[in-house]
Amino acid sequence: MASLKPMPVMTEISRPFWQGLNDGEIRIQQCNQCEGWVFFPRRHCSHCLAHDLAWRKVDGRGTLYSYTLTRIPTLPEFADEMPQALAVVELEQGVRINSTLVGLDEDEIRVGMAVKAVLDRVDARGNTLLRFTGADKALESLPYVDPLAELPRNDKGQVQVPVTNPAALQALVSDEFTGWSAPIEVNQALIDAFAELSGDDYWIHTDPERAAKESPFGSTIAHGSLVQVLQSRLNFALPFDITGFSTMVNYGSDRLRFPAPVPAGSRIHARARVKSVQQSRKGTVLTLEVNIHVLGSERPSVINDLVILYR
Amino acid sequence: MGLRGEAAIVGAAQYKPEKYATAPQMFHLEQVADLAARALEDAGLKASDLDGLVINGPQFHEASVFVPAMAAEYLGIEVNFAEVVDLGGCTSVGMIWRAAAAIELGLCEAVLCVIPMRMAPFAPNEDPAWMAQAMRFGGHSTAFGAPEAEFDLPYGHLGQNTGYAMIAQRYAAQYGYDQAAMAKIAVDQRTNAQYNPEAMFCGKPLSIEDVLGSKMVADPLHVLEIVMPVAGGAAVIVTSKEVAARSRNRPAFVKGFGERLSFKSPSYAKDMTVTPLAEAARRAFAMAGVKPGDMDAAQIYDCYTITVLLSLEDAGFCPKGEGMRFVRENDLTWKGNFPLNTHGGQLSFGQSGSAGGMSQVIEAFDQIAGNAGARQLKRCDQVFVSGTGGVMSEQGALILQGG
Repeated sequence: MASLKPMPVMTEISRPFWQGLNDGEIRIQQCNQCEGWVFFPRRHCSHCLAHDLAWRKVDGRGTLYSYTLTRIPTLPEFADEMPQALAVVELEQGVRINSTLVGLDEDEIRVGMAVKAVLDRVDARGNTLLRFTGADKALESLPYVDPLAELPRNDKGQVQVPVTNPAALQALVSDEFTGWSAPIEVNQALIDAFAELSGDDYWIHTDPERAAKESPFGSTIAHGSLVQVLQSRLNFALPFDITGFSTMVNYGSDRLRFPAPVPAGSRIHARARVKSVQQSRKGTVLTLEVNIHVLGSERPSVINDLVILYR
Repeated sequence: MGLRGEAAIVGAAQYKPEKYATAPQMFHLEQVADLAARALEDAGLKASDLDGLVINGPQFHEASVFVPAMAAEYLGIEVNFAEVVDLGGCTSVGMIWRAAAAIELGLCEAVLCVIPMRMAPFAPNEDPAWMAQAMRFGGHSTAFGAPEAEFDLPYGHLGQNTGYAMIAQRYAAQYGYDQAAMAKIAVDQRTNAQYNPEAMFCGKPLSIEDVLGSKMVADPLHVLEIVMPVAGGAAVIVTSKEVAARSRNRPAFVKGFGERLSFKSPSYAKDMTVTPLAEAARRAFAMAGVKPGDMDAAQIYDCYTITVLLSLEDAGFCPKGEGMRFVRENDLTWKGNFPLNTHGGQLSFGQSGSAGGMSQVIEAFDQIAGNAGARQLKRCDQVFVSGTGGVMSEQGALILQGG
């Protein structure tokens, strides 16, 4: 799940560090040539430039090199951590790491104090950040708290997410689609009715005989815009229900594509996922990616990034 | 090693700092032409005298590459020396010594150093919101693979304030900290600004209580110890001795310089409380053959009060760890025994992006040339100027001497 806060995007070079944290280990690099310790991750040693760095597991103990308490968030997204105790920690190996302190009162923080690592799992996927606390504290890790877990559910089993709860709204963002809707059939009668309604009576939609001979698809096909609007008949089950808004508006589409045809007589079904949730001056903007497929077809016939505005 | 000291600043111009919201919007090319015309007029020279150009590359509105060629074409000049400087707040100092070095190498005779920092007009269908979006991360790169994007931003380490605050906090732990002395830096500079009608805070005096009572931004830095970003822009003309001889002003010869770049994030500094200026200033004084005590004024880059404090120590105006005492025991105003940032410093003049540092260069020149108006020092022959980019990441020093 995506967070509003900037998240590390790991590279081929840094993967062992982040993967290590996700697996509960702190790994930093040491040069096989000069034995110097290196942070942040690189391919070349920052002491001797040798292309010979090895990953080593360390215990994450060190001292607080410096810190500050932020009285104004450095980004609005960090408002929930205020005041942040931004810290530079010097590990026993001598490398410095930018981080934050957790589990300490303001008056417990001293430059030079002994600190130890705290693994902070920040999302449902297991992504983990490296934070620090006093060496004498019991705190070892911060478990992930799913912002949706405590919220009530309606009679359809959907989690009820107040539009005023940004953390929960962000937790809806996912790469995973819903399950498929029940299928419906797109027959020639439906296509003809849409042709009459829209005025788009091009033969490839309305003339089965000619289409059988001349169409690259071997039959008539549905209008892309017909398949798009049939979304309303395709009831994919969203796992959530947004609550607490005064108006909900279909604000249009950020992206609308018809990558694959729907031949007359096909059965189609749909699924969706929340692509993003953003706050704007207009209100809360939820982008729902709806994909409509012909049954059994990998390629979607409609991709629609539907923009829904709550205010 | 170094300069012979035969190139000089002979003219300058800068826009009066203004709030972004109310400042005129001008294309950067047009600002370059406007600032060049004003600086040439100040120098008593013509556009046809110019044969060198040093310009800021980053944040140039109309181009991200081939900036010098585009600007030279717009000015209608051909040059023998074209340079882009990308050193943040150290850009100004970096421009002046590069121009002086090119002149002493015989490449050129008269160099325009220019930094346009007013906003450009928005395109007809441009969404001004992109600007706010682009400014969100300050000097921090968000590019894939940028170490700071991956290892700083997720924790909230971004912008300049917190980096400087952590430097101050480390300093406090090593040497002690006197908030009132830190505030006095801002207050003495504000006094200077009362004699500079161009300063953003002219007409708005400040007390130590005001500074200490202002909002804490990141411990131990108060908001009144932090520069205000403003729209502006600056140009300086550097010439050979021969061209300087026919200019209108008393020239300010570039006798020494130093430049040092030590890190991007101060977290990775060998010692956070020893700034790159220590090495840069040492080289500058050695090159000029003078000592800190020989200076008639110091124009020290002041994005924060802590920048000034560490610069005073590391440039050698007082011993390491005694900066607070130095500030307490000396009158830093233009009337005092240690004239510092006599134009008000950027803290009271305003910081127009990377042109902000040029305000210090120009003040040094104006004091040497006798053009400093109500705040003119009685005697001003030698001035120390510093520049600071990033979070104390890159610093430069100049020694200017009246001809």
